[in-house]
Amino acid sequence: MRLFRMGGQALGAMMENKMRTFLMMLGVIIGVATLTVIASSVLGARSEVMEKVEKFGFDQIMIMAGAGRKPGVPQPIPTTLRVEDAQAMLSEVSNVKDVTPQINRRDFPVKFGNKNSYALLLAANPNWASVWNTRVEAGRFISDEDISRLTRVAVIGPTIVKDLFEGDDPIGKQILVNNNPFEVIGVVEPRGTSPAGLDLDARVIIPLTTGQKRVFNQDYLFMMKIVLSDPSKMAQTVKDVQALLRERHNLPPGTEDDFTIVTPSQIMAIVSKVSTTFTLFLLLVSGVSLIVGAIVIANIMFIAVNERRGEIGIRRAVGARKNDILTQFLIESVSIATVGGVIGIVIGLLGLVTLSAFMKLPSTVIWQPMLLSFLSAILVGLVAGIQPARKAAAVNPIEALK
Amino acid sequence: MIEVRNLSKIFKKDNMEVRVLEDISVTINEGEFVAIMAPSGMGKSTFLDILGCLDKPTGGTYTLDNVPVQGMDDDELSRIRNEKLGFVFQSFHLLPRMTAWENVTLPLIYSDSDSNMRTRAIEALETVGLGDRVSHLPRELSGGQQQRVAIARALINNPRIIFADEPTGNLDSTSGQDVMNIFRKLHAEGRTLVVVTHDKDVADQAHRIIEMKDGRIFSDHRPIREADEVTR
Repeated sequence: MRLFRMGGQALGAMMENKMRTFLMMLGVIIGVATLTVIASSVLGARSEVMEKVEKFGFDQIMIMAGAGRKPGVPQPIPTTLRVEDAQAMLSEVSNVKDVTPQINRRDFPVKFGNKNSYALLLAANPNWASVWNTRVEAGRFISDEDISRLTRVAVIGPTIVKDLFEGDDPIGKQILVNNNPFEVIGVVEPRGTSPAGLDLDARVIIPLTTGQKRVFNQDYLFMMKIVLSDPSKMAQTVKDVQALLRERHNLPPGTEDDFTIVTPSQIMAIVSKVSTTFTLFLLLVSGVSLIVGAIVIANIMFIAVNERRGEIGIRRAVGARKNDILTQFLIESVSIATVGGVIGIVIGLLGLVTLSAFMKLPSTVIWQPMLLSFLSAILVGLVAGIQPARKAAAVNPIEALK
Repeated sequence: MIEVRNLSKIFKKDNMEVRVLEDISVTINEGEFVAIMAPSGMGKSTFLDILGCLDKPTGGTYTLDNVPVQGMDDDELSRIRNEKLGFVFQSFHLLPRMTAWENVTLPLIYSDSDSNMRTRAIEALETVGLGDRVSHLPRELSGGQQQRVAIARALINNPRIIFADEPTGNLDSTSGQDVMNIFRKLHAEGRTLVVVTHDKDVADQAHRIIEMKDGRIFSDHRPIREADEVTR
């Protein structure tokens, strides 16, 4: 109860000089607002990328035709990676559980009636959906029969549904892919944007054999994805796969691979490197703002203690202990910093909403950065207030009352 | 009530000793209305600070309400000030941001009895004739009214003794007399009052005058009233 009464006294003092109280809050408001904006966007962006890495799968590796390839960057590819390589891997490398070979082509024109769109065309096998962890939302996926009979069927992504059918049911309709008619047999779930900025929902998936013979007229592959039985033996499997492919491609020792192996740990390394740099920047910005906020509060509290020596003397004369005075001034600085922190969080969230109108930001609100901001504000209040509060408690009431 | 024996206070400054109070012994009984008179700078404020438990003596003993006070720590002295003493100052010392009744409740903030704070404050204001000014800020009150708020504050915790340091020093003679009338009323109700003043007219309204000079008591007598002189 005594503490509540001290709190009431502290609030009264805060309300007396509203402009000063606001100025004391300003540093904390700015610091916490920046902290909220930056922490939310960095952590949000990181969690989105991490989600993508997780969807890629920690038990999987990608093999791309051509040396030194990066995911999402187009470049001319050699003709050496073939379906037979995929079959050999499955039979000869013990840790390989599944392989899905595919051919990709970007910006491929597709039509329905008088509507046009550009698709990411994928020629793939029936196991593509399970290996790429992608659900079929309507209709069915490519079947073994489609592969053996080279049927003209297509599974399409949500962007294509929107562009060509404007929300109508596309199943059973005929679309034109490279002026060949394909029957839409299914729709895959939305997957958003790839880390490289590609719209993954604008895809059209056709049987691999149909793609090779009727669309691309090529028998070599663009890439393949491998699922491992035991992810902990990733490093050894990568070596086995590399050795097998070099042997099958007749590459003499000392020459460069004509393929690129991408593992989840490589993707993780890129992501965590980016986020470490951002985190350091974030810590610097918020740290400086909060230190400045603390200095401002401490300074004004020192001035307030000097101005309020009379008040301290009166309170001591009517029975306040040194600790009561200390508590009152500490509650003042902590309350000011905490209120500043709450205002800062609100402004930060408004800032995030405003910013997301101009740039792509994570849509989900994360609570950790806000808790961090709030706790930092309380800490700032304590650190900034303790010395002024001790000075207030040490005021000699006899001199203060003269 | 108050028993002071061989009390002394020495201030040390730059290796110089200043003896402000020397060998003071005095007893003040319950229900007395005592004026302490001295010229400025003759130790009366320091004496009041010690009696009011704001300062500690260098030597001697001070027994308040049968409790030895010398040697108590800061927290214990704060508790005594809160529970047993009431203070009235020359310049009122009200907190400008608080209304009259809020100022009066200030001692209750630091006491263990915080129930009905507003009701008790209003009662205290009524006893000093300010029942119609409870929600006024100090700046909206005259000097005399402010001093009466300060007296209400001194009374709120029902103290054993009220100390007043030049309570009429900042007031015109009418307001000053209002304040002294309240003191006389409090005395009539059986309260113990100790007033420090250099004003003889104020001291003469007490029932006992202790005169100090150079840190010592040189006179302790009942006031000689004009009425007494006429009949003598």
